[in-house]
Amino acid sequence: MNPAVAAPSLAVQRGILGAVLLIACWEGAARGLHLPAYVLPAVSDILLGLWSKRAILIDAAGYTLLEALAGYGLGCLIGIGLAIAIALVPALRSAILPLATAINSVPVVGYSPLILLWFGIGVSSKIVMVAMAVSFTILLSMLAGLDRVDRRAVDLMKSFGASRFGVLWRLRLPTALPLLLSGMRVSTVRSVIVAIVTEMLGAQGGLGWVIYQAVLQIDFVQVWSAIFVASAASLAFFGLIGFLERRILFWT
Amino acid sequence: MSSPAATSLVEDRTATRSIPVPLRKLARLLLGLAVAAVIWEGAVLLFAIRPYYLPRLSTILMAMAATPRAYIDGFLRTLAETLIGFAAGGAFGVLMGIVFFRVRALREMIFPIFVVSQTIPVIAFGALVVLWFGNTLLAKAIIAFYLTFFPVTVNTLLGLETVDPKQVALMRSFGASNRQLLLRLQLPTALPQIFVALRLAASLSLVGAIVGEWFGDTTGLGVLLLQAMFTENVVAIWGALLAAALLGTGFYAVVAAVERRLVFWSAEQ
Repeated sequence: MNPAVAAPSLAVQRGILGAVLLIACWEGAARGLHLPAYVLPAVSDILLGLWSKRAILIDAAGYTLLEALAGYGLGCLIGIGLAIAIALVPALRSAILPLATAINSVPVVGYSPLILLWFGIGVSSKIVMVAMAVSFTILLSMLAGLDRVDRRAVDLMKSFGASRFGVLWRLRLPTALPLLLSGMRVSTVRSVIVAIVTEMLGAQGGLGWVIYQAVLQIDFVQVWSAIFVASAASLAFFGLIGFLERRILFWT
Repeated sequence: MSSPAATSLVEDRTATRSIPVPLRKLARLLLGLAVAAVIWEGAVLLFAIRPYYLPRLSTILMAMAATPRAYIDGFLRTLAETLIGFAAGGAFGVLMGIVFFRVRALREMIFPIFVVSQTIPVIAFGALVVLWFGNTLLAKAIIAFYLTFFPVTVNTLLGLETVDPKQVALMRSFGASNRQLLLRLQLPTALPQIFVALRLAASLSLVGAIVGEWFGDTTGLGVLLLQAMFTENVVAIWGALLAAALLGTGFYAVVAAVERRLVFWSAEQ
C-alpha cells in the first residue's frame, strides 16, 4: 500500500488493474465453472452476504478492533517502557533480554491455550495475547533505535553537562523514533490477526468467533465476508499508524 | 523456558566475537541451559508459584518423559509441516522477488494484492485450506507457506534493488547474460537481506503449522496444546510449549548457521 501512495499514477493504475483483474477472474471462475460456495463463492455473492449480515459483522469487527487496539496500546507501552528502562539502567539488559527472548521463542499463538485458561474467554485474554505479540517487536525496534545513537553526539551533550535523562529525552528518543514507528506499523496487522486467532479458541464475540461459527455451520459466504471485513479493518489500522508515522516523522 | 534464552545468548556472543569454537560454544550452551533450569525450578519453589500458572520444570519434564511417544510424534509431525511450508514459501518468495524485480508492471499489479493477502487472518485462510485439501499434512504446510512467502518476497526485492548499477554496467560490458548477472551479482548481493527474511520465516512457518493443526488433527504440537487446554492440564500445555520452543529455536539456529556459512562475507548480524 505504501509505495502506491508515493509512486506516480502509473503504479496506482496498474495496482487498480491488478485488483480488477483478480476480481474478474475470481467472479468468472466462480460463475463460469459453477463452483460450489464451499470451494469459492463469487465476489458478488460475498458482497451481498456482507451487506445482509452487516449488523453482525460491524459488531464483531468493533469487538475485535477494541481488543486489538487495547492490546496494541498495552504492548506498545510495555515495549517502550522496557526499552527505556534498559537505556537508563544498562544492567537491566542482561536480565530483560534473555527472558524476553525465551518467552518469544515459542510462537506467540502457542500461548493462546494457556492465556485462555488463565484469563477466561472474555476480552482480557485477547488483550493479553495481543500485548504479548506486540510488546516484543516494539521492545526490539525501540532498543535498536536507542542503540544507534552517535557516540560523539552523546559525548558532546555530556560535555555541556546534560544528564542521562537529558540525553535520553533530547537525543536518543528522537533518534529512535523512526525505527519505533516502523515497528509499530508492522505490529498493527499482527495485533488484529492475533486477536482473531485467539478468538477462534474461545470467545464471546468478534470476527474470529464469527469465522469459526461460520466454518462449523459450513456457511462459506459468511467466512469470506468476515475475511473481507477483517482485511479492511487491518488495512485501516495499518493506514492510520502509517499516516501518524508520516505526520510525526516530518523531517525524514 | 530454559533452552531458548541460553541458545540465543550464546549465538549472539559468538556471532559478534566471530571465534567459532564449537566445543566452547556447546559448553556455554549447556551451562546456560543448566542455569536457566535452576532459576526456573528455584523461582517456582521460592515464590511458591501455583502450578496452575507455572509448574516446576522437573514436573513438566517428568510428564513429558511419561508419555514420550505423543511428544516425539507431535514434534516430528509439526517439524515436517514447518519444513515443507518453509521450503515452499522460501522458494516461492525468492522467485516472486526476482520476477517483481525484473518486470515492473507485474510488480505494480500483483504486489498490492500480496500485501492485502497478508491481512487475511491466518485462521480464516486455514479454514478454507483445510476445507479444500482436507486435514492433511499438505493443508498445514500450505498454511505455513502462506505465512512464509511474503517477507521473503519483500526482502528479496529490497536486496536486489541495492545492487550497484555500475557493477551491472561493468558485467554487461564484458558480455554477461541476464542469467549470469542474476547468479553472479544480483542474488549474492541480495543474499544477506534474503536471510533476514528467512530467519523470520523460520518462526512464522512454525506458527502456520501449529495454527493449522487446530482445525482438527490427531498428531502435532498444536494438537497437544489444544487437548491440554480442553482438559485444563497446565503441565501438558507447558510440555507442548517447551517442545515448540525447542523446535522453533532449533530451526532458527539451523537457518542462522546456514546463513553464516553462505553469507560469510557479511559483517551484518
